Amino acid sequence: MAATKDFAATGESTIIGPSILINGKLSGDEDLTVRGRVEGELSLTRTLIVEPSGIVKANVQVKNAIISGVVVGNISATESVELTREGRMVGDINAPRVIIVDGASFRGRVDMGNAEPRPASERPAQRATSVSRPIVRPAAVVAPARPPLVSRPMGKPQPPAAPVISARFERSEGKPPPPPPPQPVLVGEAGKKKVLLKKKK
Amino acid sequence: MANTVIGSSITIDGEISGDEDLVIQGTVKGKISLKESLFVEASASVEADIEVQNVEITGKVTGNIAATDKVELKADCRVVGDVRAPRILIADGASFKGNVDMDVKER
Repeated sequence: MAATKDFAATGESTIIGPSILINGKLSGDEDLTVRGRVEGELSLTRTLIVEPSGIVKANVQVKNAIISGVVVGNISATESVELTREGRMVGDINAPRVIIVDGASFRGRVDMGNAEPRPASERPAQRATSVSRPIVRPAAVVAPARPPLVSRPMGKPQPPAAPVISARFERSEGKPPPPPPPQPVLVGEAGKKKVLLKKKK
Repeated sequence: MANTVIGSSITIDGEISGDEDLVIQGTVKGKISLKESLFVEASASVEADIEVQNVEITGKVTGNIAATDKVELKADCRVVGDVRAPRILIADGASFKGNVDMDVKER
């Protein structure tokens, strides 16, 4: 005779408990909190919250997504996707606002749609051609790769290691200023032998 | 609340399984199998085969129900399908169409 009168009081929020597995299509117009597993397809007009114990293996269409658990699949959000510190995700994100916090793990593509229509005055010298570039590659990596080549046309081709190093640096440190231009040169001198080998090609 | 709640505007088409109580206020089609209790609330509409320990129905269910312990059809519920459980309660006001089997040895 378990009484269940009070469940209605929980209102407009759906919770998938930690031991629950849902396999199939799930759709709705309210917030959804996943502590268990959802596999298949998920579409909401509100917010999806994947808690640390939650696992979603699905193609997701939502307004907002906050991911602290595991998501495998593509997410398309009309507003925002946030990967928190505990969030792990493999798949593509398509949303105008994408937030990936330090500590989150993510593999996939990010598409924020057309670059936000900022006035040209706000933009650096860069041209619109960079829009088609994968957004994953921050501008900081692109920038240092070029000046050395221009300033030293004689030789010392850019060692391939340099962009990787700067990329790692950036990831661990958050958003440091772009690495100083001398750095790649130093690396190039240290790895002179490699450079010579390359010239022979 | 540790319970799983499928809210009233949610539609699930597929399978739900788990080891905890489940409250359905929305729409579920497919299959439900739980080791605990299922509550189908008044706003809910379920078209599924149900395998649970206990089930308490106030809403609408179409499908066969098999419970290892108890099935309770509350007033105002509408159930179409076969019900199999050692204990089956049908309240005054409940609407039900289907077979009842309380002689459960093994399901």
